[in-house]
Amino acid sequence: MKVGIEVHQQLATKKKLFCSCPIVKSETLPLQFERRLRPTQSELGHIDPAAVFEFAKGRSNVYRWNPESSCLVEADEEPPHKMNEEAIDTSILIAQLLHSNLVDEIHVMRKIVIDGSNTSGFQRTAVIALGGELSVEGEEVGVQTVTLEEDAARILGEDAHSRFFALDRLGVSLVEISLDPIMGTPEQVEKAALYLGRALRSTGRVARGLGTIRQDLNISTTGGSVVEVKGVQKLNLLAKVIVYELTRQVGLGKIAADIKKRGIRRVRCTTKDVTDLFRSATSKVLVKSVKSGERVVCVSAEGLAGLLGYEPYQGIRLGKELAEIARANSLGGVIHSDEFGRQGVSKEEAEELEKAMGAGKGSAFVLVAGDESKANGTAALLEVRLGQALGGVPAETRAATEEGETRYMRPRPGPARMYPETDVPEIVVSPRRKERLFEDVPVPWGEKVKEYEKKYSLSPELALQVYDSEFAHTFERLAQGTRLTPSVIATLLVEIPVRLTREGIKEEKIGEEVLVELVHAIDEGRVAKEAAPDLLRVVGEGKAVNVEEAAKFLKLKRLGQAELGRIIDEVVRKNRSMILSKGEDAFSPLMGEVMKEVRGRVDGQLVGEALRLRLRKRGKGKG
Amino acid sequence: MADFDGYRGNSLEFLMRSEAGVGDMVEVGTEWGVITGTVVPRYQYDDDRHIVLKLPSGYNVGLSIDRLKGLTRKSSGEKPAFAPPPPPPSPKEDLPRVAILGTGGTIASRVDYRTGAVHPAISSEELYALIPELSEVARIEPEIIFSVYSENIEPENWSRIAERVSEAVAGGIDGVVITHGTDTLGYTAAALTFALQGVPIPVILTAAQRSSDRPSSDAVLNLVGAVSVAGYASFSGVYVAMHDSESDGRVALHLGTRVRKNHTSARDAFKSVGVSPAALWSREGLEIHLEGLPQRRKAAKFSSKPRFEAKVALLKFFPSMPLTLLEALANGGTRGVVIEGTGLGHVNSKNIPFIRRFAEHGGLVCMASQCINGRVNMNVYDTGRDLLSAGVIPLEDMLAETALAKAMWVLANSNSIEEARSMMRASLCGEITERTLR
Repeated sequence: MKVGIEVHQQLATKKKLFCSCPIVKSETLPLQFERRLRPTQSELGHIDPAAVFEFAKGRSNVYRWNPESSCLVEADEEPPHKMNEEAIDTSILIAQLLHSNLVDEIHVMRKIVIDGSNTSGFQRTAVIALGGELSVEGEEVGVQTVTLEEDAARILGEDAHSRFFALDRLGVSLVEISLDPIMGTPEQVEKAALYLGRALRSTGRVARGLGTIRQDLNISTTGGSVVEVKGVQKLNLLAKVIVYELTRQVGLGKIAADIKKRGIRRVRCTTKDVTDLFRSATSKVLVKSVKSGERVVCVSAEGLAGLLGYEPYQGIRLGKELAEIARANSLGGVIHSDEFGRQGVSKEEAEELEKAMGAGKGSAFVLVAGDESKANGTAALLEVRLGQALGGVPAETRAATEEGETRYMRPRPGPARMYPETDVPEIVVSPRRKERLFEDVPVPWGEKVKEYEKKYSLSPELALQVYDSEFAHTFERLAQGTRLTPSVIATLLVEIPVRLTREGIKEEKIGEEVLVELVHAIDEGRVAKEAAPDLLRVVGEGKAVNVEEAAKFLKLKRLGQAELGRIIDEVVRKNRSMILSKGEDAFSPLMGEVMKEVRGRVDGQLVGEALRLRLRKRGKGKG
Repeated sequence: MADFDGYRGNSLEFLMRSEAGVGDMVEVGTEWGVITGTVVPRYQYDDDRHIVLKLPSGYNVGLSIDRLKGLTRKSSGEKPAFAPPPPPPSPKEDLPRVAILGTGGTIASRVDYRTGAVHPAISSEELYALIPELSEVARIEPEIIFSVYSENIEPENWSRIAERVSEAVAGGIDGVVITHGTDTLGYTAAALTFALQGVPIPVILTAAQRSSDRPSSDAVLNLVGAVSVAGYASFSGVYVAMHDSESDGRVALHLGTRVRKNHTSARDAFKSVGVSPAALWSREGLEIHLEGLPQRRKAAKFSSKPRFEAKVALLKFFPSMPLTLLEALANGGTRGVVIEGTGLGHVNSKNIPFIRRFAEHGGLVCMASQCINGRVNMNVYDTGRDLLSAGVIPLEDMLAETALAKAMWVLANSNSIEEARSMMRASLCGEITERTLR
């Protein structure tokens, strides 16, 4: 296997890359407009296949925006301003960190992207440096390019007619680093991404938080086409996604081998409108479609019967591939002949269909329903995909899912989709600029982690965890500004949230604000640090929006000295005989019993002190 | 022969020494290794110390020739030859015939991704191939009559367009679309309205604020709207067809005498001033918003009046305007001046003697307002009354740009200064409205 990785990192610039809008995530988007993008034709009459695919969907794009975060540049109503100097500086710094070779003149290009995520229909992007290497545990991984580009609009959702986008993220500076393909294990790829992320963060000039770093992968197996997987947002999903995609590719290879074994050298397909066959069908889905005026179109593929539902590995089927294409075309999916029974298509209907299609024995059938143009358009794509089944893995762009799988997005874009952005003059990178920035090249991240260990007396593991987390800056601030020990703060900010995400709580549910509130609440004695996991769990499960509410929810109230004394007295009274027999050794079981009563309402250390004092007093009284 | 588009001085010499030109695949040695790429053009005013290579990834990078360690030509570049576009759908015989007259800019274009150059689509086949829906709207007859940036358009260009429209009418065309750069589109629209008075068919000017090589271009919707209106509208006359909002949806049709470019870059830069747009077109149909538009007529006899007097100035008054400015204009042979005055139609009263002298010597002096909205009224203040007595013609709510085009047309199509003055006061083509509604 071969995995190329591209890391996209948002920069923490004050303004966007081609205008002076601040970087703000807008909560409300009061304004909107609607557009359609058209594929542009290149020389030789060539139109990009990905562009045609998007256009054929016939959907418009609706852009919502707020003047606090966007202006006419994002709306494509004004030409781009000059390229942001701060972003250029940061990308030059990053290039130097990776020993990448700076170009002498930066040329901004337009990369055609017509899925709607750029109002202009292209992404502005420029090569900053070429070559270089990243050191990963002593091994060098080659760097191909360092580019500076604008981030895309944030997708809000879609329906049958439109896709909806927010403009706040459009135009934020991104540095993209492409690494040489790695021929190792998925874990090695993940490690390379991790090390690259640490190097980027060491500049102190990149954005932090979910969605500010994204990974794209180019994955291929021996002899197969390259599949581009976009948008892996979480690092710990990388290996999982790679394993899934490799399994899929090997599985598709097996299916291809089976097709060849049947003596098929070319997949022959026929497409027909078969709506009339399903007017009173047994399949509820089909009847509903036909009744609402939709068309049912069938694609038959000679000799493929049994191979659409064949599952060389769990969840890897040709039928699923076809359904994904239909879904990418905003249809519900497909019904194919290997699952007719399960989908409520009767034997008689299947026979009628076979007759109507005039297909030979052993044919597979795929049904797709939708309005006329969409159903036919999708059927044409399904024919293409069935034809590709012999070749194993088609070149596609796929999206990574949150579950660590990949799903079809569109055909892979052709190479001819870049031309100069004539609205932005080229930028000469002067030797003086390089020298000036040379002084800003950051200390290697390893040293920064060591500094954490020393300055805050953290264990090496915790120090690295803090460095890798979103909250390194917050940690430093709280370590200075509260009386808690740094290791307690680190545990609260990093260790407990990680433990909770392993329990299945969504990472994004426990934000920085909540964690900071928690640290202060503990610092000020409003809650005990033992209650931290419970409090965060309540917030993470959505039962409370902040720590204060979570404490109310858990009925946690700080215990006063007097009440703690009463509880200890009660426990001591109940265990009088044990104390008499065990003496000092009674402390541990008693402590356990008291903590059961007071956990989360008072610091464990205080309980220990109070109990010990009480026992000592008792001893004295007796003596 | 190698092509050195945009290269000059040192970088040109460098390329020539290596016998490599634009479009050639080359290998260059740098301080850090060898790079392959295609030599692409540079802009004319760029420095002569860099060459630009397109890398196999499609990116362009600039490399300093001072740091290059040699350049080897690997293979010669293919000339950007246009293969025939995909077969265009052919329009039905019963569709209306619409002429598309190109005057500059590009209606539709194809990008040469190899060098980044943008090539205009010229033939009807190319247009149908790029905008297939046009073939369902009309049988189009495209023609480039000249190719001029709109800021370089002159009155003689207006004459040429007017003549060409009149020939097309004589040839039985159902409608005319004129594509034009946006900068002076308002002036041309006004000029053509006067030159083409009584034209029996729709004459629709259209343009794009985003060039047609971009996926987000507004050109397609504007052009399809313009061709639809030219082919099917029940009315005749000269209109500007441009986006009605920032959305791709409706195209507004503005009266040629009441339209102005009010924004430097937005899609809906063109606005009707003082009136509503004449009509709004969308794929759903055409809604007419102004009453009394002239009706489309069949096979009517029509001749244009295409002559313009170029010696007319549009002078925006400003505080501290030198008194000699008017005099210099008069001495330079200027026959008419449209003053864009302040407020209700004023200039510094020190100018009044010069204005009086200019008018007395047979010059045409008119007053529009720099306020854009509203109407001049020169009876409210003393200065206004003094200007009137000096011979200034108040132009009511006529737009200053329209007034300039009209004065040019009037001076070329009247027999005396008195006639010219009275034509300026009259509303010939809706350029003056009687009621101010906003």
